Formats: sequence, C-alpha cells, structure tokens
Amino acid sequence: MKTDADARDELIDLAADFYDQFAAGRIPEMELPTRTKSNIEYDEESGVWTYGDRTSVRSANSVNGARKLLKAAFTIEFLADQLDADRSSTLRELYYLSESWDNDEAQFNSQDESNDLIEDLEIVTGVTREDFHMRPEESGAKVMGPLRLREQTNRGDRDIHCQLDVGQGGYQIPNNPDTIEFLENDAEFVLCVETGGMRDRLVENGFDEAHDALVVHLGGQPARATRRLTKRFRDELDLPVVVFTDGDPWSYRIYGSVAYGSIKSAHLSKYLATPEARFIGIQPADIVEYDLPSDPLSDSDVNALESELEDPRFQTDYWEEQIELQLDIGKKSEQQSLASRGLDFVTETYLPERLGEMGVI
Amino acid sequence: MTSFQSSLGEDEGIAEELAESQREISIAEFFEKNKHMLGFDSGARGLVTAVKEAVDNALDATEEAGILPDVYVEITEVGDYYRVVIEDNGPGITKEQLPKVFGKLLYGSRFHKREQNRGQQGIGISAAVLYSQLTSGQPAKITSRPKGQSDAQYFELIIDTDTNEPEISVDETTSWDRPHGTRIELEMEANMRARSQLHDYVKHTAVVNPHARIELREPGLEEPWKFERATDELPAETEEIRPHPHGVELGALIKMLEATESYSVSGFLQEEFTRVGKKTADNVIDAFRDRYYGRELAWSPPSARSTVTGATSADVEDAIEAAVANKGADATSAFADGVAETVAGNDHLSRAELETIVGNVADAVEDDTGRTFGSTVRENATRAAWRVVTTGDAGEDDGDEADGDERGVAADDSPIVADLYVLVDEVTSTRKDDEAVRAMAEAIAFRLADLEGDAYRITRDDLDRLVADAANFVDEQHDATFGETARENVVEAVWSRARTVPDDPPKVREVSGDRDAAADLLEAMRGTDILAPPTDCLAPITAELVEAGLRKEYDADFYAAATRDAEVHGGDPFIVEAGIAYGGEIPAEGSVELLRFANRVPLVYQRGACATTDVIRTIGWRNYGLDQPGGSGMPNGPAVISIHVASTNVPFTSESKDAIANVPAIEDEIELAVREAARELKSYLNKRRSMQQRREKQDVLGRILPEMADKVSEVTGRSRPDIDGALARIMNNVSVEREVDDGTVRLVVENHSDVNERLEITDIVSTEPTDLSDGTAVDMDGEWFVQWKPEVASGDERELTYAVDGEADFEVSVGGVETEKLTVNA
Repeated sequence: MKTDADARDELIDLAADFYDQFAAGRIPEMELPTRTKSNIEYDEESGVWTYGDRTSVRSANSVNGARKLLKAAFTIEFLADQLDADRSSTLRELYYLSESWDNDEAQFNSQDESNDLIEDLEIVTGVTREDFHMRPEESGAKVMGPLRLREQTNRGDRDIHCQLDVGQGGYQIPNNPDTIEFLENDAEFVLCVETGGMRDRLVENGFDEAHDALVVHLGGQPARATRRLTKRFRDELDLPVVVFTDGDPWSYRIYGSVAYGSIKSAHLSKYLATPEARFIGIQPADIVEYDLPSDPLSDSDVNALESELEDPRFQTDYWEEQIELQLDIGKKSEQQSLASRGLDFVTETYLPERLGEMGVI
Repeated sequence: MTSFQSSLGEDEGIAEELAESQREISIAEFFEKNKHMLGFDSGARGLVTAVKEAVDNALDATEEAGILPDVYVEITEVGDYYRVVIEDNGPGITKEQLPKVFGKLLYGSRFHKREQNRGQQGIGISAAVLYSQLTSGQPAKITSRPKGQSDAQYFELIIDTDTNEPEISVDETTSWDRPHGTRIELEMEANMRARSQLHDYVKHTAVVNPHARIELREPGLEEPWKFERATDELPAETEEIRPHPHGVELGALIKMLEATESYSVSGFLQEEFTRVGKKTADNVIDAFRDRYYGRELAWSPPSARSTVTGATSADVEDAIEAAVANKGADATSAFADGVAETVAGNDHLSRAELETIVGNVADAVEDDTGRTFGSTVRENATRAAWRVVTTGDAGEDDGDEADGDERGVAADDSPIVADLYVLVDEVTSTRKDDEAVRAMAEAIAFRLADLEGDAYRITRDDLDRLVADAANFVDEQHDATFGETARENVVEAVWSRARTVPDDPPKVREVSGDRDAAADLLEAMRGTDILAPPTDCLAPITAELVEAGLRKEYDADFYAAATRDAEVHGGDPFIVEAGIAYGGEIPAEGSVELLRFANRVPLVYQRGACATTDVIRTIGWRNYGLDQPGGSGMPNGPAVISIHVASTNVPFTSESKDAIANVPAIEDEIELAVREAARELKSYLNKRRSMQQRREKQDVLGRILPEMADKVSEVTGRSRPDIDGALARIMNNVSVEREVDDGTVRLVVENHSDVNERLEITDIVSTEPTDLSDGTAVDMDGEWFVQWKPEVASGDERELTYAVDGEADFEVSVGGVETEKLTVNA
C-alpha cells in the first residue's frame, strides 16, 4: 500500500513527463498497455492474467487525443489536491466535479470517460485508485461468516465479528479493504455467491454456521473491494475459495474476474485476482446430472460462450469441456433453479456434494 | 439562306398530318384547334412561346452568319394587348425571303434536315405571327437591315387565313440605328402570369449561349435585365448530314424514292444515305430481296440423303439423260454425269443453285464436245433433276401439269418430308415424340407444296404463317403441341437453310410506286447492321463553355461540366452535356435547380415529364455529397444542374416540345454525363470537408495544447514550457498529393508525423492503369481499383506511380491514418 505522499508524487511525475515532452518540442503522449482480450497474458509467477507487451499511445496529435490528455492534466491536479487535503470522492463525483473546471474542453462527457481516465492513470502511475482516494459509488458486497476483524473508519477502529456482530445482511465490505485487519478466524473456506437471493438462502439455512463458511456476496460482476478482500482471505487466512454462480456464460465471466482478473483491470490482477479460486457451479454438467429446470441458450449466449472459448483465461481443459458441453445441450440454468428440488436442496445436498468432490470439506 | 428557313418545316411530319385531316377548314380554325400543341394554349404561355420562337430564330440567324448574337427583347403593354419586340444583329432579311420565314404556318416541303438547330424546338415563328394576328388583328411589323445597306426596310405582313398565304401589306424604306439585323414586332392578347417561365427561359438561354448578349425589358422589371457575353467563341458550325438508314420513316423514304435521280436501289442507298457504301448497300439489298421475293428453300440432294427415299445420284443422272434429247450419247452422258456429281457434292441445294450448276456443266460440256445446250435443254434438265431432288421420283418428266400435281402429294417417303423431319427433330425439344415430329414435317411439306412454282420460294413472314398453320394442324389432328419457341426454331432452321434468290432487285421506280415494296426496303434497311451516323452534324456547347455559362449566371463556389461522346438513337446522333454549379450565392434551401436544354434551347414547361428529371431523381445523390431525402428524388442543396441534349432529332414527349422523351439510350447518356460532373462535385466536397476538418483540428489543438501546457506547469510548479515545437509537428502531418504528368500519375505520400505510417491507399481510375510502381490493380466494372499499402517511416516520403492512357478520372481514398492527421490533395 502506497502512502498518500507516494501516490501524489507519482501523479506529479506524470504531469512532469508531459511537461518535459512539451519542453523537448515533442507532442505529449501517454503509453498504455492495449486493453483488449488479445493482449492479456498468463503470468506464471503469480498465476494471474495481466496485460501483455502490446501498447497503445494516447497522443495529443489528434483532437481526441489532445482532449484526453488535457482532461488527464486537470484530473491529476484534482487528485493531487485531494490527497493534500486528505479527502476522498467517488468516481461519479469526479464526473460532476469536472463541470466546475474553468475549461470546457477538460470536462468529461460521460462517467465512462472519467472512469476510464482514472484507470489509465492507475496503470501509468502504478497507483491504485483507492490510493488516489477515489471510490466507486457503492460496493454492495457483504460477508457473513465466523471471522473477527478490525476496520479503520473515520470514526475510529471498529472490531466486528462477521456473524455475531452483524445483522441478517452481513458485514459490509468497505471501499478500501486494505484498511481491514483480520483478528480471529474460524472459517474453513470462502464461498463467493453471485446472486443476493442465493446468499440469503444460504444464510437463512445457516450454511455459514453449519460448515464454517465465509459467504461473500458478489452481487453480479464483483466490485474491486470484494475481489481484493477475497484475495486477502486466500492469501492471509489461507482459505480455499470457491465461486458459486448461475450456469450461464455471463456468470463464468464473474468467476473469471475473481480468479484470473478482468480484462479492464488486468493491471491490478496481482492485487485483485485469486487464481486459487475454484468454480463450484452451476456447471453445465450439473444441469444434466441434477436435471435442473433450464432455459434455452439465446444467440447472444452462444456468442458469449464461443467468445469464451477464445478467451485465454478460459483455455483450460475444464472450461473447454464445460463450455462445449453447454453448447451441446443448448441450455442454461440459474442458481435458484436448485429450488426445484426443495429449499434445502442447495445446502443439504448440492453444495456439500460439490464441496466434497472438490475436497474442500 | 438564313437560319429562318431552316427553322421551318422541321415538323412537317406532324404538321402535314395535321393539315391533311384539316384541309377543309380555315387555317385560323386549324390553329385554334391545335394551339395547345403549338404552345399557344393560354395568353400567358403564348407570350413566352412567341418570345422563345423569335429569340431562337434570332440566335440561329446570327450564328449562321458568323456574328456574335446581340438580342434585344422588349415586352410592353399597349392598351389591352402586349407588344413583343425582338431585335437581333443578324444578317437581315430580304423581301423575297419574308413570306418563307413568317409565312404559311404549314409551309415546308423539304425532308427533315439532319442538322442540329434550334428550329426543331417549335413550330416556328410563323405560328407566333398567326397567333398575334388572330388575337389582336394587327399585322406583324418587320424591320430589316441587311449588312452594308444604308437604309432599313419596313414591312407589314398579314397571313390570309383562308388561303394560308402571307401578304406583304406595307413595304417602305425606313431608318434604323442598327447597322444590320432584324426587328420583329408582334401585338397579341396575352398576360404576364408566366413571368417566371419567361425569366427562366431568358436566363437559361444566356447560360447555354455564353457567346450571346441578351437584354430583356418587360413591364415587371424596373431596369432592363442584361446578360453579358462570356465568350467570343461562336458554337462550331454544324454539318448537315444525309439521313441514316436507321432513322427514316416510311413516308419519308417514299418521298426520297420519288425524288431521287438514282435508277437502282443500290445507287439510291449510296447516294441518299449516310454511312452506306457498296458493301452496305449490297447487304441491304440482300435483305430487301429476302423480304421482297422471299428465299428459295434448299433441300439435300439424293446422294446425301438416306436411302429411305430410294432416289440416288444415279436417279439424277437418269432423269437428266431422259430429259435431254438429240445431243449424242457421249455429250448427254457427260452432261448428266457432271450435273449429278456436282449436285451430289452439295449439302443442300435450291432451285436457283441447281440452275446455276446445270448452266455451268452445260457450258463445260459445250466446250468439250462442241454440242450446243440451249436454254430449253438446260431448263428441261434442271426441271428433271429438281424433280428427283424434291420428290425422289426418277420417272420420266410427264410435263408441267403433272409435275405440279405430283409435287402436291407429300408422300411419306418424300425427300422433303425427310429433310424437314431431320430439321424439326433437331430444333425441337427431345420430349417431342417421333410421331409428332413426323406429322409436323409432313404438314409443313404439304403446305409448301401449295407455293407457286416449283422453286419453294417464300418470304419469312409467309414461312412464319405457314409453320404456324402446320403447327395448329398438328395440334388439332395429332394432339401434339408445337409452342411459340418450337415454331420459331423450326422457322429459323428452315429459313437459315434457304438461299437468297439471284433475281435483280426491283428498280427505284417500281419500289417508289409500291408501298409494300418500300416497306420491305425500309425493313431491310433497319434490319441491316450499319455504321452509326457521323457526329459532326452536332455542335455541343463543350464542357468548357457549359461551365462558363453557369459561371456567368450563377455565383457559386464550384463548377463542373462534362460532355459525352456522341451516341446514336434511331439513326439520329446525339450528345449529352451536363454541368453543375455548387455553393456560393445559390440558395441552399429546397431542391436543386435543374436547367434543361435541347439543342441549346431551354425547356421551361413540363419539368416533371422530362427524361432529364427522371434521371436526376434516380441518381443516389448522397453518394456525391448532396442531401437527398429518402435516398431518391430531387436532391436538395445549393446546386444548379444543367443538362443539354443536342441531336439532329431530339425526341420529345409531345408536340409542344417541352420535355425530352424517356429514350433509354439518351437516359443512359444523361446519367453518365451527370455522374461525370457529379464526381467532380464529390471530390470538391470531400476536399472541402477534409480541409475543414484539418482547419478544425488546428483550431482545437491550437487551443487545447497551450491550456494543457499551462495546467502541467501549474501542477509541477514550473514555468510554462515552450510548446511551439510540439505544435509545429502536429500541424504538419501525413499528406497525399497527386501529380499527373503526361500519362504518368504520381501519388506522393509525405509523413511528417513522428511514427511510421502504414497507409492503405485506393485509387479508383476510369481507365486501365499500367506500369504500377507496386500495389495491385483490380478491374471492377470498367473502373480500376489500384491499391497500395505503403509503410512510410517518420519524416520520410514515398512515390506511388502508374501510367494511364489519355484522360482519366481519379478518386482516391486513404485509410490507415487518422483523418485528422491526414491531408489528401489528390
């Protein structure tokens, strides 16, 4: 973790780069790894997927390029000032805040644009946005399980037990989970769950208590904080991590971003990804084996599956077999489809069986 | 002769037709009934038509005299009437010429003159004279001053509406300040409701006649409207050409036949028509003979036939020997043998051919033996041999009558049936069963037997009918259908085997007196391939002057024009020209303005019915950078499109000659001409757009980069850096420029950017490129796509070259480089 001063220095260095380029009579530019599927590579050492060698250049040579760099300069100033003042802001606030800048050209046209720029700055400076004191709008993710931790809040440190001290909703993961210190752990493994409905079912059925599981709610494509905390559970508490999602191509990508890192934030894969995470289901094989209620694959599903066959992150025997099986049967099923066998089926039968097969319990 | 004459009688076709049916009524009544056709259907229109006729005449008169036209038009209100005055600086007109010029409405005995002139556009100034006389009761007042004369002559001319004869009522000397010229003054019942059409007509006339000076005064104009001359170049003089065989009508042909001094049809064709020499005349005459006399059908001789019929080459020999008497055994035998052998050597044989063979062999035998074979002997021999060929009957010749009767019976084993069977079988589908084919062959043979004489001479039309009749018979009797195609195939097979007869074609005198024969000749002329007519009878405005005309009357940013090569439609050559003016002061709202011209005369009415309008509507203008709602119809935007069709005979939709008819050949040329000009417009607009983008880029970067420099110096706490170097680099980026020099096309790519550029350059060329420096050329429907993918290092330049033969159009597109970075000037 970088200190505020480090982060600020990195930003100023980038501005100084631009300055030096100007001074040398050159057109300012910023080189970034190409952020496409074809430019991510497997990093043997860390077991995650990171950007490859291909780069693209944001140059002031074009109108769009010049606008981007101008925005970058303004954003650098804003972030540096924010670090100086020890304040923080959300990505959305940055977007609106740009309206107050005295230069029309520097204002963001959409939040996607400001989000992308922050990611660019992360990559170029090697500082995470959390260290810039930028947070997303909401994390939404929650943890439930036998773990006691200490969180630094602006109202002082709080000690929290993630089963005893929290309500039915669980412990809310803060935006910067690096402020958390693990105190006492009784959990045996981490179970990441895609949907809120399934998480609530597990909690209601007391699955976390029965199996000493840390149930992490992903809430769709998981926020960085969720992925970061999951990685810390694995690295610091040495817990096995399994991911439980719907049985469709979009959910496999959720697993992929937990385990391998996402394409957009591959620069942070070493910090966010948990390569040891394993996929519980719903597997295409489960649809067949448990004869789950299913929907037919739509055209976009088929395209997504075929695109995943091309995705370097999914090029393992396991995934190729599962994806081809799914293309073959032409079906997909949701987590909740397990309820067709009764509300307890998932906690009494499916998960124990799968976890047993995987050697987790 | 001045051009006044040439404008007369151009419409003798229609006028005569009209007159013929109207002979019993007075000319006034005739005019009244037909004025809509003549352009005088309302007072408003009558005024425009009168001005149009007079101005057209004035322009033709001055041009023919080699004088740059100076035309003055004045319209004034005189009580309840309008007075129209048109003055020109032409050669003037003599008293003798007056009646011819302004005289009889339906005057005209000459054939359609094959020359491009304005006069084709209307019924002539005489109609205006008559209209004025009928509506106001006033005579036409004409002042004329021929060049070099000190005084002018003043005439008043009235047309006697009972006799249709012009009368000069006043003839006196007067003075006129013009050194030479003609002034016509007409008073007529009229109104100015068609003012905008009048203005259009005058303005468009100025556009299309940049060599003319025109002045218009009319009550609605505060100041005279003057159109100055833009060039001192007179249009090229046109040659009158003789008619083209593909372009005459039957009536005209009969008149030409009556008038010609030629004796033979061949001489007539070569003398009176363009593009007809001896060889073409022969071809036409062969075709004429086929239609006039018919062809003689040819049959296979006995030896070539299967033995089914029994007759052999020996039978021919026997038959001839039997038919020849008193020539001695040796000579007879040599003769019979010779004929039989020659006959057997032919695949097919007509009666006339057989006659020739008999003649040749007889001549040879005469030489060898000293015996004389007279015409009777030869004829007998021919008849006997022909009998064997056509009936297979080697029996003795019983005489003419019996001959005819026997031929009438188409026996099963008739060689003709056998021949026809093979033919029918070959050309009809294999599904037809043998019995039907045989029935068809027999039915045809049966009907052929009814032909006059024994030579099987028949015209194509009769053969069509005969085969159709036979097919109907077979259909009824044998329930076997020979459809349209099968019949045509049979006719074609029989016809192509038939021989053109050696008879001399009828003489001109006979043909001219025989409407059917003349029709046969006309058909023969149309059916023969003949070189397209020469085009020096046309005077295109030329692309250069089309542009000058637009430039003169429209203050635009861009002008383009194109002149196509001459093409031919129905024996009349034509040329299409198109021009486009864009931007500037041309109003941007609404659809573009379309100027239509036929033989340099503006067309102001019936725009919607005109082929030019139709073509403009079908072109996809978005492709050329003009707005076109819905992707079809009239395009919108600040543009003027002008189209000129020049021809010895412009086809119009109606007799009022306001709209060009939808003739595919002409429409195609209009489209090509417009597209040619439009391509230039497109590249202009593209260039303008890319210049604009480049300017915008410079503007934006010139603003953004200093601001960025300020911000980074603020953030880093240093003083503001010097950014001139960076700016200079950005402004100079990648450029592609074209140089064309004497057939060599050079595209120069300069890379001022600081990275290597991999460009994708596609040049679309209108003619085939050769000697490519590298890259590839692909032919796409007559356009060649030349492609290069050069990699140009930072600071480097590359030349891409190829050669073209003659004029070519280019259109380049460059990919692989950001457009903002790119300057294309090619």
